[in-house]
Amino acid sequence: MKALVCVKRVIDYNVKIRVKTDKSGVETENVKMSMNPFDEIAVEEAVKLKEKGVIDEIIVLSIGAETSQETIRTGLAMGGDRGVLVKTNGQEIDPLNVGKIIKYIFDKESPDMVILGKQAIDDDCNQTGQILSSLLDCHQATFASKVEVNDDKTINVTREVDGGLETIKISIPCVITTDLRLNEPRYASLPNIMKAKQKKIDILDINDLNIDIKRRVETIEVSEPPERKPGVIVNDVDSLIDKLKNEANVI
Amino acid sequence: MDSSLNKSDQIVETHNFVNTNLDLFENILNSLESVSAEAKSFLKEKVSSEGKVSNQLLEKHQHEGHGYAWFETYRIALRETLNWFKTLKKLDKSTKLESGILIFSFAEYLCQMRSGIMMSQTEIIRPENLGISNQSFSFCDSPDVAKLVKLGLSETVKLEIVESLENGFFPNLGLNDETLEMIQDQFKKFTDEEIVPNANEWHLKDDLIPDEVLKKMSELGVFSIAIPENYGGLGMGKVAMCVVTEELSRGFLAAGSLGTRAEIAGELIRLGGTEEQKNKYLPEIASGNILTTAVFTEPNTGSDLGNLSTRAQLDGDSYIINGNKTWITHGARSDLMTVLARTDSNQKGYRGLSMFLVDKPRGNCENPFPMEGMSGSEIEVLGYRGMKEYEIALDSIKVSKKNLLGEEEGKGFKQLMETFESARIQTAARAVGVSQNALELGLQYAKDRSQFGKSIIKFSRIYNKLAWMVMETTVARQITLFSAREKDNDIRCDIEAGMAKLLAARVAWSSADSALQIHGGNGYALEYPVSRVLCDSRILNIFEGAAEIQAQIVIKGLLGK
Ligand SMILES: Cc1cc2nc3c(=O)[nH]c(=O)nc-3n(C[C@H](O)[C@H](O)[C@H](O)COP(=O)(O)OP(=O)(O)OC[C@H]3O[C@@H](n4cnc5c(N)ncnc54)[C@H](O)[C@@H]3O)c2cc1C
Repeated sequence: MKALVCVKRVIDYNVKIRVKTDKSGVETENVKMSMNPFDEIAVEEAVKLKEKGVIDEIIVLSIGAETSQETIRTGLAMGGDRGVLVKTNGQEIDPLNVGKIIKYIFDKESPDMVILGKQAIDDDCNQTGQILSSLLDCHQATFASKVEVNDDKTINVTREVDGGLETIKISIPCVITTDLRLNEPRYASLPNIMKAKQKKIDILDINDLNIDIKRRVETIEVSEPPERKPGVIVNDVDSLIDKLKNEANVI
Repeated sequence: MDSSLNKSDQIVETHNFVNTNLDLFENILNSLESVSAEAKSFLKEKVSSEGKVSNQLLEKHQHEGHGYAWFETYRIALRETLNWFKTLKKLDKSTKLESGILIFSFAEYLCQMRSGIMMSQTEIIRPENLGISNQSFSFCDSPDVAKLVKLGLSETVKLEIVESLENGFFPNLGLNDETLEMIQDQFKKFTDEEIVPNANEWHLKDDLIPDEVLKKMSELGVFSIAIPENYGGLGMGKVAMCVVTEELSRGFLAAGSLGTRAEIAGELIRLGGTEEQKNKYLPEIASGNILTTAVFTEPNTGSDLGNLSTRAQLDGDSYIINGNKTWITHGARSDLMTVLARTDSNQKGYRGLSMFLVDKPRGNCENPFPMEGMSGSEIEVLGYRGMKEYEIALDSIKVSKKNLLGEEEGKGFKQLMETFESARIQTAARAVGVSQNALELGLQYAKDRSQFGKSIIKFSRIYNKLAWMVMETTVARQITLFSAREKDNDIRCDIEAGMAKLLAARVAWSSADSALQIHGGNGYALEYPVSRVLCDSRILNIFEGAAEIQAQIVIKGLLGK
């Protein structure tokens, strides 16, 4: 089987986000970027399936600027086989358009499964996997916390849902989005980092794909979250209850 | 600086000043080169007799000699800091943080060179000691340089630097290479997840770093970095080694120091070993199957290693080794000792020494030395825990002739010296990692702790410390990476490597001290990791050439040039 894994380059989760002075978005210049953590989990899952002998080839796809190659390279160092970059020119891409681009690559590569993070930590959209599965008209399993491929190539996916776990069976081709507890992504070892340098990354220009990437969503303004007000220390339980009742109005 | 400017204008002014005056920085370096030449000829005059440098005279003028080593260390460190910035600027990667650090480093170090450099807290080398006249530093009085100094030392710059840190922005490391950056990233993650949460517990319990962690490090390739590919290693070079070492040491000094042993033994064998020895040992060291330990120091010979007295006597096809060694790091949990011993008792100094590769069964805490003829006891230490140090006795240890390094007698000291470049670079990188650790701990505490109704980071005595720490950590890192690059390009860099070790060790200690000070009383509590970092940082000025010895090596190198 063949897996397509999608990875997004996002601002590293350790960095404090700064809003651009014109409030058009967040500052990314000279800011540390990393692979979206949920996508790391997606890569790890594919590599695990490959180690189990279920998958033969892992393609790591990213849509973004030239620098997203570095993110793909990290995926290759973790165990991906080859990469594809759909190069953008700095424009924002809506989830629907991301879905369309992934579908384009899907049609070219015919993978048996697409694995992606349930959401990216920058825009928190949580839509791409779902949109993709409807564009592909195939099964989807979102928020996966366990993935097991059966002998007949159907896949049992355990999902984290409100109130517990749900296990569903889907058939290929399919879309799986990963949740936090699916696995612990490995560190790329030095030998694998060296090997990744030799792996191929194909670069496609977004303009050559003949896909309408016009934005349907307009960002009006991006602003900083309000500053947290300092807390107070209460002397005893009674004054705590009093404050909760009369100041915070929560009980 | 125009005092009517508000803070953000001042920052813009400083940033613009740096970016439009890089020639000025260059000119300062040129002027310092002339000053340095003046000091050098003054010194040469003092320590030479009949046109040759005399060791006796050099010893007599040790303060000045070592002082000149420090002066040159500063000059080269500034040069490399400027190169760091210029490269970043060319790549469009420099920000106000980097330009702030650059101008601060130049202003501060220039002032010290002009008035006095702290070789240690209690020894200051003054320009007059080096025969440098006031006149020689008159270039500092030009309006441009004066302005640079004023801007560079301003509180505004320091505050701006620290505000960047507060927001999670640290200065660019200057790796400028995708692979190296990925290595840094992966080892940062590994360190944050596997080392940092446990380091203090390992330290407080005086535990060995657990076997599982060692195994993970082997799998990541830590021990194979510098070993050539045809011997099972990765052949990645010293810059990669520095990146990995700094990251691991940032979590726990011993984690970054496990690789040192592989590095020393690996270099000894790679450079001095026979083909058979290389084939036998290098792949096993690279895979982490064989852990090595360096057995050189003796109770009566530390810095003066050439005078050691452990004997190795030829007996048929074997050597019999007898003697006492001390301060042997990772002496128990290791499989191969590199033992320096005297094969020729007629030769008093280093000429009679040979290096042996001595296999030994791996010990553990309960049974540290499960080998006949080998015994020892643990030395309890302040810091640098995680591998344990031992004093050991070697009693008639029999070693095959085949285990004499290079199968040649009398080459031991020379073979060891050939590894010094790498070991010093690696130790400098460890010191940079420790300094970074101190910086991060100090920063976090300063952000979290409030007194007098505000976060203490807002007090200038606190942010000045942090700005200094990040500035000096950067400077030390750049001279370290410079040496590593030279080494990777096969350019001799023993002097620069010595300078990097000298400076980085001092920086690690002062950063740790400042970070502890920022913690106030809590810094003195064992529970807070900064207390460990203080203990750990202290060793860096002692081993791999104590600070005095390192300065001696640098000055001898400089005068020999
Ligand atoms: C934690 C730790 C781990 C170690 N690990 C190892 C190891 O794994 N293997 C190993 O072989 N060794 C190891 N060492 C030993 C280390 O290399 C020595 O401690 C070091 O070389 C200094 O030697 P010494 O302690 O005998 O000090 P000394 O040589 O006695 O020096 C004492 C002081 O005098 C100064 N001094 C000496 N000579 C001069 C001079 N000519 N001019 C001016 N000042 C001078 C020194 O700089 C120092 O400040 C370790 C030491 C420590 C503390």
